[in-house]
Amino acid sequence: MGKGGIYLETKDPIIRFAVVQKILDLARANSLWPMTFGLACCAIEMMSTAMARFDIDRFGAGIFRATPRQSDLMIVSGTVTKKMAPTLVTLYEQMPSPKWVIAMGNCAISGGPFVFEGQYNLIEGVDLLVPVDVYIPGCPPRPEGLLEGLMKLEEKITGTRRFPIPEKKW
Amino acid sequence: MVKKTLEEIKNNLKDVDVSETSYAERGYHIAIDAKKDNLVSVVEFFDGRKLYLADMCCVDYVEYLELVYIFKSYEALCRIKVTLKIEPDKPSAPTISHIYTIAHWYEREIHEFFGVYFEGHNKLIYLFLHDGIDHYPLRKNLTPVTQEDKVLLNSFKPEEEEDAFFINLGPQHPSTHGVLRVVLKMNGEYIVSADPVLGYLHRMHEKMAENRTYQQFLPNPARMDYPGALFFNLAHVAAVEKLCGIEAPERAQYIRVITCELNRIASHLLWIGAFLADLGGLTPFLYAFDDRENILDILETATGSRLTYCYFRFGGLYNDIDDNFIEMTKKFVKRMYGRLGMYEKLITKNVIFINRAKGIGILENDVVVHKYGCTGPIMRSTGMPYDIRKVEPYAVYNKIDFDVPTGTTGDNMDRYMIRMKEMEISLHIVEEAMKGLPSGPFNAEKIPKKLKPPKGDIYHAVESTRGETGVYIVSDESDKPYRMKWRVPSYSNLMIFPALAQGTLLADAIATMGTFDLVIPEIDR
Repeated sequence: MGKGGIYLETKDPIIRFAVVQKILDLARANSLWPMTFGLACCAIEMMSTAMARFDIDRFGAGIFRATPRQSDLMIVSGTVTKKMAPTLVTLYEQMPSPKWVIAMGNCAISGGPFVFEGQYNLIEGVDLLVPVDVYIPGCPPRPEGLLEGLMKLEEKITGTRRFPIPEKKW
Repeated sequence: MVKKTLEEIKNNLKDVDVSETSYAERGYHIAIDAKKDNLVSVVEFFDGRKLYLADMCCVDYVEYLELVYIFKSYEALCRIKVTLKIEPDKPSAPTISHIYTIAHWYEREIHEFFGVYFEGHNKLIYLFLHDGIDHYPLRKNLTPVTQEDKVLLNSFKPEEEEDAFFINLGPQHPSTHGVLRVVLKMNGEYIVSADPVLGYLHRMHEKMAENRTYQQFLPNPARMDYPGALFFNLAHVAAVEKLCGIEAPERAQYIRVITCELNRIASHLLWIGAFLADLGGLTPFLYAFDDRENILDILETATGSRLTYCYFRFGGLYNDIDDNFIEMTKKFVKRMYGRLGMYEKLITKNVIFINRAKGIGILENDVVVHKYGCTGPIMRSTGMPYDIRKVEPYAVYNKIDFDVPTGTTGDNMDRYMIRMKEMEISLHIVEEAMKGLPSGPFNAEKIPKKLKPPKGDIYHAVESTRGETGVYIVSDESDKPYRMKWRVPSYSNLMIFPALAQGTLLADAIATMGTFDLVIPEIDR
């Protein structure tokens, strides 16, 4: 690990097929397989999202895999400590491309409530270690928040939003 | 019990400095000032009386370091504080890990955070911290890590043996419930030895406490134990209230009981789901979360959050409960009684489940429990009805009549049954507390904006879902705690896992670990 952390870039393929690419993107966006990577409090909300009421399966992202080799989405749900950082980078490297990262909760975004002068054990934001696609603020974010983050990621992959944003009534 | 113990100590330990303290002010009955040469004999005396080591911590007073040992009896309310003063440069103390097994882990923790050497400790290597650390974090003055200690940093490596096969269970593993890592040495499918490695979620709560005022620290405890956030919140609030002499009004106390018990049910439901998922059955997970969401709805109306509650305030609550809350709770209690019957059909009578749980992970009462300081359902499964709510009633638990379920054999099935029973009892407590709920204010009057508790220390414990959750606060009359140490139940409970896992099948060890209901941020703090 270098001084300010490392960036791992996912390279684009050399040959591209425009239409096939679009179809593949659509397929990928609708069947994201997240890795079970519960770190802290946010993991419980991530579990809630996967359960009956919020049902992340509606959007095809309900198959939580315990191994990075079978997943393409890493939801960093919780605080990343300096002891955990090498493991996190290893897990990210083990995921096959194309792969995406969601930083769920304030801890994964910036260290959240645990940043103070003289702190000795925190990575202040998971984006210092791996590239992050979507940030979901909250401590912890509500399941609706995670679902919205998932929509945003789908939008990033396909270029179109699954649902139109509802008009504000207030 | 206290008088008798005091008498016994005075008769048996002649050259020890013993004094009786005020329980109402300090939270412990007897204070003993030990010296380096008689500490071991004092501890051996307690070991013979089957007291358990509830907590062990170190406080840095700059001129000297003080080791604090808190002993407690399983039978009656009797808490003893033993202190040992040691010099700040090259501090060392005699080990007690050969008497109390849990002290092995506490001593490792103190060693890495304060740099105290324990003479005679057989494996004083780092447990929590990462290998980049260059100072002892909890010392008041910046103290660099000594050269000998640098060698021990992150030095956990499995011993080299040709035939041995090692498995790293975690830190990313679905059945370690977070980021626990256990290094298993295997012989085929059988576990030869298990060694937990902690600190993957060490979030410096105790260091933060020293940097923040009592009010600013309020949101933190909830993030230590998120499934049972209200209990940690309550432990912190009640300890500070006791220290400052604030009394919360009765309505607030009743509401504390109601919300805490609802939280207990939510936590147990989460546990059922996770435990059954560990055994391979994913269906109960969905059922349990369905019920849990109902509790979260109820608690959200009062506390404003779904998970990491920060509801209790010094001298009362954040806000009052309304009719809607009571209505929803009544509806939920009625529904939940019916659901418990369904769980029985779904899980308890399932043959596969019974075969996986019965007679596995047997914890023997008189041999180990007090050596490890186990509390909560794990300890109660061995047949001892020890519950802080009964022994040391806080809030209004003394006004409510309830049972404490116990097991007989101490196996996984017992631990499961106890938690199921506890949910029923919690529902009963909620009902009773709702009946007795008085009207009136929910906040004590004239609570100063800036709390400055008088000089002194306090230990206060509550019964969380996993066992005894205690907090030891040292105040120096400023608005920030001088030292705050959390005694967390999962820490003591986890350390019994290596003993239970030895010689069992890997799959059974996972089942056993599932019944422990571990929450890792609580262990790592």
